[in-house]
Amino acid sequence: MLIGVCLAALIGAAEPRPDSATALSYEQAPAKDKQAKTDQAAKPAKKAKKKKVAKETEASPDEPTDPEADPEKTGVRFEWKQHPSMRIGDIFRIDLEAKLQEDGHWSYGVVKGMNTWEFHRNRFGVKGYLTKHVEYEVEHEFTEKELTEKDILVGITPSSQWKDVYVNFTYVKNAQVQIGKFKVPFGLDELTGVTHNDFVYRSLGAVYLAPARDIGAQVHGSIWKHGFGYAAGVFQHDGDNARSKKIQGGDATFAARVTADVFRKLTSSPLGLAEVGLSYALSALSDDSFQPNGLRGRTVMTQDNFYDNVFVKGHRRRWGADLDWSAGPGSLRAEYTSVSDDRLGQGIGSEDLPDARGRSWYVSGTWVLTGEDKKRPLKVAQPFAQGGIGAIELAARFERLGFDSAAGNEQPFRNSRAETIFPTADHALTLGVNWTLNRFAKFQFNGIREQLSDSQRNPVANGAAFWSRVIRLQFVL
Amino acid sequence: MVFNRVYAALTVLAVTGALPAATFAQAVPIRIPAAVTAAADADPSDPFFDDTVLHDLRLTINPKDWQSLRDHFLDNTPYLCYWQADSQPLLHNVQIRSRGTGSRSGVKPGLRVDFDYYAADQRFLGLKSVILRNNTQDPSGMRERLSMEMFRRMGLKAEREAHARLFINDVYFGLYTIVESIDKTWLQKNFGENDGHLYEYKFDNATPNPYNFGYLGADGKLYAPLPFKPQTLELDPQGEVLERLFWTANVAGDAVWRTSIEEFLDMKKFIRHLAIENFLAEEDGLTGDYGPNNFYFYRFLNTNKYTFLPWDKSNTFWESASYSILRNVEDGAESKRNRLVLRALNEPDLRALWWSTLLECADSIMQPATATSTTPWLLSEVTRIAAQIQAANSADPSREVYTNANWDESVRFLTAWAQTRSDNVRAQVAADKAKHGVK
Repeated sequence: MLIGVCLAALIGAAEPRPDSATALSYEQAPAKDKQAKTDQAAKPAKKAKKKKVAKETEASPDEPTDPEADPEKTGVRFEWKQHPSMRIGDIFRIDLEAKLQEDGHWSYGVVKGMNTWEFHRNRFGVKGYLTKHVEYEVEHEFTEKELTEKDILVGITPSSQWKDVYVNFTYVKNAQVQIGKFKVPFGLDELTGVTHNDFVYRSLGAVYLAPARDIGAQVHGSIWKHGFGYAAGVFQHDGDNARSKKIQGGDATFAARVTADVFRKLTSSPLGLAEVGLSYALSALSDDSFQPNGLRGRTVMTQDNFYDNVFVKGHRRRWGADLDWSAGPGSLRAEYTSVSDDRLGQGIGSEDLPDARGRSWYVSGTWVLTGEDKKRPLKVAQPFAQGGIGAIELAARFERLGFDSAAGNEQPFRNSRAETIFPTADHALTLGVNWTLNRFAKFQFNGIREQLSDSQRNPVANGAAFWSRVIRLQFVL
Repeated sequence: MVFNRVYAALTVLAVTGALPAATFAQAVPIRIPAAVTAAADADPSDPFFDDTVLHDLRLTINPKDWQSLRDHFLDNTPYLCYWQADSQPLLHNVQIRSRGTGSRSGVKPGLRVDFDYYAADQRFLGLKSVILRNNTQDPSGMRERLSMEMFRRMGLKAEREAHARLFINDVYFGLYTIVESIDKTWLQKNFGENDGHLYEYKFDNATPNPYNFGYLGADGKLYAPLPFKPQTLELDPQGEVLERLFWTANVAGDAVWRTSIEEFLDMKKFIRHLAIENFLAEEDGLTGDYGPNNFYFYRFLNTNKYTFLPWDKSNTFWESASYSILRNVEDGAESKRNRLVLRALNEPDLRALWWSTLLECADSIMQPATATSTTPWLLSEVTRIAAQIQAANSADPSREVYTNANWDESVRFLTAWAQTRSDNVRAQVAADKAKHGVK
């Protein structure tokens, strides 16, 4: 049945007819409210002075669930624009959502633990509101790998399969309160929705340095007509990206992010939209685990460890800066992230060691060949099999993820208590083509060239660079 | 005259190691005296495996890591340590981890020491790694070492071993056996090649009916990566060749079996290996009580021919000197009998070879230890090793099970075993020959 739905989506058959009485589309959401484009679902903060009226007739995958955007209707009704949706007046709404991704990938040869074809993501959830001031989302991932008996025997606990599980209180539009499990407000790429990425894989810095989801609470909103956005919160830990089967991760975390629209005063200029962001996070770090609790570095697709995590204790400090610029069919993104971990008492003789450091950056650009304005997700002007070919976009990214430490007295070593950590880095170039068929289906083709600086941690002989190739079919409901 | 002087000078360089023997041989087209070659090719790790001395090994490790290793001894988590053996220079950047199967212990962990884990080029006396066996299943602490000596004495390749006192952060922790790792370094030293397929046989403790060398089916994945776990060429385990071996061993017709199996195994060597284990009363080996176990398997480069390599002989010298040479061959649970052994011993020439090798073992251990001694070799070895390790064993603070009284008793057992096993095996061979109508 799922395959049938996917195939129908590919040819556009499943696309519902536009409804004239529809919700505010993603494109019509406050244009500069970047938080609304993220998985953490910070909602438009502008307090409505009068009832909003949807101007556009088509939904998009980011169809907001703002109760004030819904037209006034009474009674129970079912609708299907982007998502199947049930609504009761303007006090309750529930949308069913699905995110399915099937990947085919190839790399330097036989890669341990990697199958050529993989059902990569299989997420289902619900999203909506309960009364005008309480929004909610629940999303579950169904394909995460289970633990082996050996894992359980050695005390490894399973990672959560719940993704976003939160409520968002919008009583004060400029200071909304979000509670539950959601993305820690840190980093542009990590906060971009998983189905909206320009590339099959997020940047290395987003995957291995940024926190991702955790349980906590944050206050977020925007002011100055969305020219300035903010989010600040406290969390139980420092996100899923810092944890694994063997890595405990950081403890109590404070994180904050601010964004500002650079061309806010020039909205009609051809410079388009440009937003700069700054992020900061501070986490407590313990050495309670018997295994090293530092961050690790892996290659993009094959996930070969090129940097093994080290023992850490004290605090973890993250900060990042990013730029997100889109103008017409083109876009440019750049981001820098830095992480510093204390290593108090972590020497072989329990002496303090210099901080362990991780740093990443990337620059990426996209260009829509078929002429649509760059959005995330892309809104196709002429859907495939409906008189058009869909939207075709070229994408390129160059990035680096590296680890080291401040220099100590010892020569650099690769071990987990090295005074001077042996510097290592991965440089990756990703070239891609995105073919968005319609609002539901998208193909992504990526070629990834990686070069590791440490030949001893290179999965390919003699430290050579290697290419990986991936094709992804994405279906979003 | 000039030639003689040049030759003499080159010889000196070769003897001192300044000139590689191969270069010397190319430079001087004269047969190189064996002593010269031996000196130039001397294994730098020989002093480390010198079994005439009790070695001292010192590990420096973060105390929390050491406690973690002991607490999580079932895990293979690597830990950093500094390593020093005897008077060798201190080596930083070394990894240790808990190891073993049935011998795993949190009280006295078995250890694997990897010199190349954090730095691929780092070696200790030419070694990439070494095993420190905790002997938690052997009250004497000597069975493994004696067994490997026996294999080598009988002309088969086996790991070098010696005993050592292990100090953790300068505190005596326990008596261990140093065991040479079977890895690419070992293969190169013993076979002159190391690019073939090396497997460690992984016995499945969880199943009541472990693999018995039967034919599992046509899929190579039924054989590798488990139970034959690749140690080289891990991404290309070539289970399909193992499948053909076990198809031949089990399914091939009687008429062609003897010649077909030779494609995969040098049967004379295999029978020799088997006979030595049977002589040593190995309870957990090729014909073990639980099914085949404790060996490495190596397929030589560009061939289909495998060879068995002995591993973990801590359950030898089992029960008594009258331990049956046919245990688990003609008795024991049917499902656990080694299918390859059963079929091989049905071949008259291989059965005869097995008998003769058992008798050779019986003679070998009773030969005088030295030209000037009348003490039989095995008895001499038991006495020598016991004297070497007695004090260290007695002072061992990490012994988990066995007491000094257990150790004394086990030495007495080995002493008696060494004196009576030969006659017992000779009698068993004679009986088996008679049963098969052979004089």
